Amino acid sequence: MVRKSKGRQKIEMVKMKNENNLQVTFSKRRTGLFKKASELCTLCGAEIVVIVFSPGKKVFSFGHPNVDCVIDRFANINPPNPRQHTDIQLSEARRNAIVQDLNNHLTQVTEEFEIEKKRTEDLKQKRKNSHMRENWWEEPIEELNLSQLTEFKCGLEKLRKTVTTEACKNFQAIVPRHNFYGGSSNNSTFGICDDHTDNIDTDLDLYNHQRMVATNTFACNQHNMMVPYHITSPFGNIANSNIIEGFAPEYNQNPNQFCFKQEQMSECDQHSAHPPRFGHGYY
Amino acid sequence: MTRQKVKMAFIENESSRKATYKKRKRGILKKANELATLCGVPVGVIIDSPYDLTPEVWPSREDMDNVLSQLQRLPVMDRTKKMLNQESYLKQSISKASETCKKLTKENKELEMKEVMFDCLSGKTSPSRIEKNDLGACGNVIEQYLRNLNRRIEILSKNDGASSSSVHVVASTSVAMPIVELGSSSTAFCDMIRQQQIQSNMNQNVGSLDLNQQQW
Repeated sequence: MVRKSKGRQKIEMVKMKNENNLQVTFSKRRTGLFKKASELCTLCGAEIVVIVFSPGKKVFSFGHPNVDCVIDRFANINPPNPRQHTDIQLSEARRNAIVQDLNNHLTQVTEEFEIEKKRTEDLKQKRKNSHMRENWWEEPIEELNLSQLTEFKCGLEKLRKTVTTEACKNFQAIVPRHNFYGGSSNNSTFGICDDHTDNIDTDLDLYNHQRMVATNTFACNQHNMMVPYHITSPFGNIANSNIIEGFAPEYNQNPNQFCFKQEQMSECDQHSAHPPRFGHGYY
Repeated sequence: MTRQKVKMAFIENESSRKATYKKRKRGILKKANELATLCGVPVGVIIDSPYDLTPEVWPSREDMDNVLSQLQRLPVMDRTKKMLNQESYLKQSISKASETCKKLTKENKELEMKEVMFDCLSGKTSPSRIEKNDLGACGNVIEQYLRNLNRRIEILSKNDGASSSSVHVVASTSVAMPIVELGSSSTAFCDMIRQQQIQSNMNQNVGSLDLNQQQW
């Protein structure tokens, strides 16, 4: 088995020659050092301060409980005042509780990340193993010729139509519901599926909060069933969502008739030379 | 031999805590040394705990004093801009990790939708069977793919046969794409198509493909 890269290599403990590499190394190692420092504090309750100057003369520091406090003690500037002792203990306890929460949160996010990484592996493996590539359209685009591309394009455009129809069916089913302002129960119907949020969680992180706001801008007037013009898609807030960009059928007044933003008429609609390629009775 | 995952919380057991402290302290100092050497930058570390009589200072008291005076010389803004404590550091880490995770989730969704798209095209499934929440993402993947297709078509059309004959053609195009009608079951149809598929990976000259010779 040929290795793609050499893997972890031993490096000499001398100043790095390549400027760019040096900068990158600095960033990575500094982050790692701070991580280790943070862990030491959490695990063992030690006090620590780490001060690092970057190649660009900027200073980075990490300190627990905080940089100045530890430095002062080291320099013997402020001997601890006995009267302040209980205050210090209380604030320390509170601080520790906060830190513990944050640590738990970080652990959770890291685990989620690991799960996603595994999922990527699985998906890529699945694609590799999939059905001996008997479908030519699954090959990379660069390997297809012009006629294949055109045929593929036709097929895909038809698929797009059906998918859009499905989505609009969905949308129509939802629209009659009462207005969405402040509603949380609908936030999983459009756009990205999120399995986590079933209730409004007051502790929403920024990502979920943004997503809910985007979904809830589906303003729907209770008395007027027509969808306001600027809300154009059953797929979520088009304007702000990166994921949905470019895929927006436009609504007329009557939600049953919609026109598609199509850049050009599909070529296949004009073909007459070839026999019908796609299934009987197809459109 | 995989290492045991350590729970990120204060170690209750006194002796384990002490042992961990000693090991990790040594590790941190080692890492600090490597950073300072590899990047040729000033680094100063102070570690203090109930287990040490005096605080551990690295590289040395004098060097630490130098670092500190260098620090003091900087204007307050520069000094405190990148100053972190556990709370701020952890918050920063969490948001970075969340960002990365979000990105990965999005990419995975796209990969998954690509599979769904291919399955629809080959008749394994149909749009009516797609999860309602996924329709948007699926639509977007289709849109993206179409954009790429159009771009590629444009390139090939511009070159107009001159370079397209050198394009490596995969399999044979005497196969139609069985597109599934809404709600219809097309297994029989797809099987028929599949029987006619030629599995070959050969270089073909575009001109030799006769698209009119399809057998139905």
